[in-house]
Amino acid sequence: MNTNFLNSPHVKRLAGCMALAFVLALMIGKQEGSQNDYGLAFRHAIFSPRILIFILIGLLVFAGMTFWPYITPYLLRPGVRPLAVGALTVLVSYTLMHWTDDPTISGGKFTTLASKAANTDGLATSAKIFFSSFVPWILLIVVFGLAAVAIVFSIRPLAWASAAVAVISGIWAYTSQGLVRDFLGTPDHSLGGGVALIGFLTMAVAALATALARSDVADSRRFVDRLLAWRPGMPLVVLGFIVGVIAFAQATWFSPQNLNATLVDTKSFFDGHGLAALAFAYLAWLGWVLFAVTLVLSAAATYLRNAILGWVAGALGAISVVLTLVSIYDYTELAGSQGFDGATGPWQNLGSGPWMAAAAFFLLGGAGILVATLGMRGELLHHEQAEARSSDTLARGFTAPGSAKMFLFIVIAAALFYPPTATGFWQKVLVSEIGIYVLLAIGLNVVVGWAGLLDLGFIAFYAIGSYTTAFLTGALPHKPPSFLHLSPLLAIPFAIVICLIAGVALGAPTLRLRGDYLAIVTLGFGEIIRITANNNPGNITNGPKGAFGIPHPTIHLGPIKFVWGQNNLQYWYLLLVLILVVVLLFRRLEASRLGRAWAAIREDEVAAQATGINTTRVKLLAFAIGASTSGVAGVFFASQIGYINPENFVLNNSILVVAYVVFGGMGSLPGAMAGAAVLTWLPEFLKDQVPAEDRQMWIGAVVLLMMIFRPAGLIPARRRAAELRGLHAPASSEVSAVPEGEGLGARA
Amino acid sequence: MTDFLNYLILGLTRGSMYALIALGYTLVYGVLQLINFAHSEVFMSGAFGSYIVIHSIVGDGKSLPWFVVPLVFIIGLASGAVVGAAIAWSLERVAYRPLRRRGAPKLAFLISAIGMSFFLSQLAGKLFNRFTNNQFPQYFQQNRTVFSILGARVTVIQVAIIVSALLMMLFLDRLVSGTKLGRSIRGVAEDAPTAALMGINIDKTISRTFIIGGALGGAAGFLFGTAFTFSNTMGFLPGVKAFAAAVLGGIGNIRGAMIGGLLLGVVENLIPTAPWNGHAWIGIGWTDVVAFVVLVLILVVRPSGILGERLGRAA
Repeated sequence: MNTNFLNSPHVKRLAGCMALAFVLALMIGKQEGSQNDYGLAFRHAIFSPRILIFILIGLLVFAGMTFWPYITPYLLRPGVRPLAVGALTVLVSYTLMHWTDDPTISGGKFTTLASKAANTDGLATSAKIFFSSFVPWILLIVVFGLAAVAIVFSIRPLAWASAAVAVISGIWAYTSQGLVRDFLGTPDHSLGGGVALIGFLTMAVAALATALARSDVADSRRFVDRLLAWRPGMPLVVLGFIVGVIAFAQATWFSPQNLNATLVDTKSFFDGHGLAALAFAYLAWLGWVLFAVTLVLSAAATYLRNAILGWVAGALGAISVVLTLVSIYDYTELAGSQGFDGATGPWQNLGSGPWMAAAAFFLLGGAGILVATLGMRGELLHHEQAEARSSDTLARGFTAPGSAKMFLFIVIAAALFYPPTATGFWQKVLVSEIGIYVLLAIGLNVVVGWAGLLDLGFIAFYAIGSYTTAFLTGALPHKPPSFLHLSPLLAIPFAIVICLIAGVALGAPTLRLRGDYLAIVTLGFGEIIRITANNNPGNITNGPKGAFGIPHPTIHLGPIKFVWGQNNLQYWYLLLVLILVVVLLFRRLEASRLGRAWAAIREDEVAAQATGINTTRVKLLAFAIGASTSGVAGVFFASQIGYINPENFVLNNSILVVAYVVFGGMGSLPGAMAGAAVLTWLPEFLKDQVPAEDRQMWIGAVVLLMMIFRPAGLIPARRRAAELRGLHAPASSEVSAVPEGEGLGARA
Repeated sequence: MTDFLNYLILGLTRGSMYALIALGYTLVYGVLQLINFAHSEVFMSGAFGSYIVIHSIVGDGKSLPWFVVPLVFIIGLASGAVVGAAIAWSLERVAYRPLRRRGAPKLAFLISAIGMSFFLSQLAGKLFNRFTNNQFPQYFQQNRTVFSILGARVTVIQVAIIVSALLMMLFLDRLVSGTKLGRSIRGVAEDAPTAALMGINIDKTISRTFIIGGALGGAAGFLFGTAFTFSNTMGFLPGVKAFAAAVLGGIGNIRGAMIGGLLLGVVENLIPTAPWNGHAWIGIGWTDVVAFVVLVLILVVRPSGILGERLGRAA
């Protein structure tokens, strides 16, 4: 072997793929050896026949990479990406998702359910056929194969056919799950069938892209764009329609004692029990009527692009949401007052139906408002303008007017109406993991993303906020003066002020340090705060035991009295309000004079100074604003969980928040939020998929892969993307040995 | 006085390990202007790697003839260095080079390194074990006193650590200031594009810088494991401290990292235990706080560290 051979790219690539195979074998292997036999897991992973599978995977990757240039022309065909995404989604739903929550079916996964359902007497035939051995897989393969052939060879009739098959398969999968749920009759929150439906529909869109594409090279994104741009808001109407029909026709509205009553059943159930007239009317006919009228109005508004109709549809949607909620309250309150199936109050024993109905009304109303507000600006925005308006690249992918807003409406609808239908476990995760870290990431985004200051001690301010709350509510050894003894929500302004002061106190001496020095100083600050809390000087912090008995938040304003209790949903809505306020404030901030000053010092501090920006003051402000957001999160955390100790504020959490912000896309608000949400959701999701001890390993791998393949993050900031490669220039693959100074470490 | 000397020697021992790790941070910072957050995992893998080698040689280590002990020690040091270098090399290939090719923003490197760090430490935990108290075989009496000054006892392991660390640092100093490789490292650190024009292969130089830093870190992992215990999460705290030490001495500056490491080790052991008569004013519990406060104070007075920051200039 000469050196030439060793240096050839193919050999290197093969070596890399083999290394990948071995690492994968180690990752998906037996757990650790004992202290006597360190090599156990290693031997099991490498010296056993199963290694052949991994070597095969490595060879496949190698082949894929080597023949990539021959594949790429086909990948530009319209519909390829949605097809792949859709097929993957269905695959995920078949392999990973839960299809039932019934305790008698262990795990609730698709394969277990299918093997049972196929042999169950009394189950509806269509569901039995769907779940019998190969049918679901054949459906997937047929749809994928037909669509793939249609796309690669641009055969339109075949594309139409595969789209039709895909739609039918999706609906079949979804209804089969519904039938099984009805058959089992247990409360059920599993999403498998829904995800499969979404996957099949995505594949249908892929096929339609081919069927409708005007030329062979038009890519699928352009196609989706055209679809979205046809009538702004129309996709929302369609989505609202689908959700609404499912809600009113099929979903569960009331589920005590495994009843799973649909809307009609619920009505007959409460017939003659003295239900309030409005709620009864809603269950009997008003719901349907409201849905129909709102649907027609918003469809007309979007089709005609009529602002007035849009406003009317929006208002009707809002009223309908309120009416839905009032009706739910009425009938559950009635059931609760009679102690029905252990219910102690309103809002219990609900199915997903009413929430889906509310979401449908919200989406329909949102479509109306979208049209109305677009119309108010006169004509439709030009694409370029739409692009220039958004602070991130979310809207760049789909440049159709209003598409960013559309995503926003969908996200808000999900945030408002999905959590009540989730299981208790996920509600807890939503509040104490996802929500809090989203708030923290928004705060850190100001410091890291906008001002470009690397802060590795962000959790310190969170700790300060928490301990401030503990002090003001009297949960620490030293009691506050009686006039300061406050309820947690009133502690928010104090926490903000104290964190502002702490931020300035930390920043003032250290902000003249450059990026990496600042990183280590802030890291040190975080540790100092935690160790101080732990060492408990002067018995201020109660040491490692921490503070306990911090009261839950309350609102006591004249006649209004609301006390948050143990229910995580209540905290979720409180958190939503906090996040909403912070996001609204920060959106204004980003484009303000201060926000532009941050961008300037991030890019070039010397130049910024030369243009008259008081850099110290501006940086201090970034620090203080970020710190105060963290303080608010701290107040929430302390009062929600009720007890805190120094272990809640370890250094690792600070690093994680930085990772969330960068993962999501530095400097973009939606990016930071998405990054935090995804990375806090992932470990909880992985809990069912991989051994619990391995979770952090998989997360490390995901973060690493993300940074390798998409270093700008999930939703990259528009401004930063522009800085990297110009506003309109395509991404360059220029090789640079040393990364260009990005402000953070750019040497002055 | 005895206590003072005891803590001083302890501080020097820990400090020399900090210095070895800090060199890895500083070398990488010198050529890439990036904090290599996964360096603490290189340190950890050095401990595990050398453990496996030593364990396979000496078994449980009982009844080893005295003249073999230094040999085993050197083998351990070397195997730690080799494993550390291998991990550091693959780290550069996986977590840094692809990002460099894409011209990724600076923080993306930091995050990919953090991802790698999570991944490596958890993979080691999965592969070996997740106990926190793994110990090397007792192949020599580490705690035997070699000599004592004014009642302060100096043990075998302390002498071994300080001496080997100093030797390695001396070697590195010569390597960077006296060889062709060292010249290319300094060249890349000073001005990468110009260095490339002068015929230096930048990618190769960066790779080799990682290898050198990794070897030192891996060897430090072996030393740490021999003196204390080792585990898959052992890298975190020494890593943070060593990073602080690198910054203290002036990041990117090799001699600065050595001085910073030793200084940090000594200071964090001496100050909390003052006035060294058994009744400390501050207390051991505040060790880390003292270390960071000293760091902040020094940085406030000298914002670029004790010796200033450029690798190219200082070495």
